[in-house]
Amino acid sequence: MDEPVLELEDVHKSFGKLEVLRGIDLTVGRGDVICVIGPSGSGKSTLLRCINLLEPPERGRIVLEGRDITRARKAELNFVRRRIGMVFQQFNLFPHKTALENLTVAQRTVLDRSKDEALAKSRALLERVGLADKMGEYPERLSGGQQQRVAIARALAMNPHVMLFDEVTSALDPELVKEVLDVMRELVAEGMTMVVVTHEMGFARDVADSVAFMDGGVVVERGTPEQVLSNPGEERTRQFLGAVLGH
Amino acid sequence: MGIFFHQYFDLDIIRDNFSFVLAGFGQTLLLSVVGAALAMSWGLVLALLRQSPGRPMMPVRALAITYIDVLRGIPLLLVILLISGSIPFLTFLPQTLRAPDFFGKPDIFWFGVLAIALTYGAYYAEVYRAGLEGVPYGQTEAARSLGMSHAQSMRHVIVPQAIRRVIPPILNDFIALMKDTSLVQVIGYVEVVRAGREVQAETFNSSALTLGALMFIVFTVPLARLVDRLIARQQAQTRRAPV
Repeated sequence: MDEPVLELEDVHKSFGKLEVLRGIDLTVGRGDVICVIGPSGSGKSTLLRCINLLEPPERGRIVLEGRDITRARKAELNFVRRRIGMVFQQFNLFPHKTALENLTVAQRTVLDRSKDEALAKSRALLERVGLADKMGEYPERLSGGQQQRVAIARALAMNPHVMLFDEVTSALDPELVKEVLDVMRELVAEGMTMVVVTHEMGFARDVADSVAFMDGGVVVERGTPEQVLSNPGEERTRQFLGAVLGH
Repeated sequence: MGIFFHQYFDLDIIRDNFSFVLAGFGQTLLLSVVGAALAMSWGLVLALLRQSPGRPMMPVRALAITYIDVLRGIPLLLVILLISGSIPFLTFLPQTLRAPDFFGKPDIFWFGVLAIALTYGAYYAEVYRAGLEGVPYGQTEAARSLGMSHAQSMRHVIVPQAIRRVIPPILNDFIALMKDTSLVQVIGYVEVVRAGREVQAETFNSSALTLGALMFIVFTVPLARLVDRLIARQQAQTRRAPV
């Protein structure tokens, strides 16, 4: 069996007295798509922030492509973040830069790509997410769905080995959700390794290799979408799904 | 009423001394622009030092905070006197610094500019700090998640946005700075207030000082209006921005 891309062992994280992650174990193989679901406050976002070390975990181990990155320092931190792309709920595009410049700036500064190389890469990616005609626009002139697609392209421009998605459709108007999910489905089809925190159960059911249900800072249950979403073994999972899908 | 009008608005005195007072105002502007350019740069350096991350940078942060506190806590006049009355006697400094005459300007000009830059740098540092802290944390997270270092994310993402936010308060402080350049006259530099005072001493009439005041107003009032408009525009943008 291939070595896993990402391995989490007993990861703990607290903010003051609040223990947000209470021992997370998670293995992600190459090309795997893991969807993480769970009620708000269950630690899903914090989990993603720990994986790319925006929040350093207090205990446990995070192994990226066979390398223990838990205590990574400066130079190594930047190595980690180059291999892990992240897309945020609030897009976090740079408002003073055009769509194209949003993609080029890190390529130029972090990867030392030439201007031409960075521009070519950025244009190709913006075309791929359907924004060929918006390259020169500033974020405030783009719809939420367009901004989020730029954000995905910006992360992809760094050639990441793993992509993290943090509720990327939660801030979008309902009619804009599909265009973003479509881009993500394409990524799945291309074999990208992805950890997706989401409330889109339909998306999870369609594309996930496995679904993890989190509650109270632990992974309560993990299995195929069929198992977790249709025949959950745990009572807490059932309650959550009942609340989300029920009505 | 005639005496009052004559004392402040004697048109003959204003006409005779117009070019002298105007030349003085030219020096006021020069002191302001050079002083402000240095103060703005120094202030940004101070603000960034104050924001430098991590435990090893603790002494740097403490030093920056102390500097800002001290320089905001003492009068500019005192700093001017301290600098002009001491630097010429610091014999360990090279002659070009003890008696600076860059660009043909006399040493008292440069001492004045230095005092303004040191003092207003502390004020500007606080303005920049507010600007840096006002940039949403998501911007830092996005930059760091792309692998940018602290310095890279500051330079390409945070500082450009912060500067946009602080343009109005910076201009506001520039008005205060411009008025404070008149303090440099105490070490003998002839700017607009000194020019008006010399005319006043010769003629026992204050009209030249009134003229100087008018010159200030022609500059500062439009600047104040510009600040208002920039603030109004920023507020409109903030209202439009989502979430």
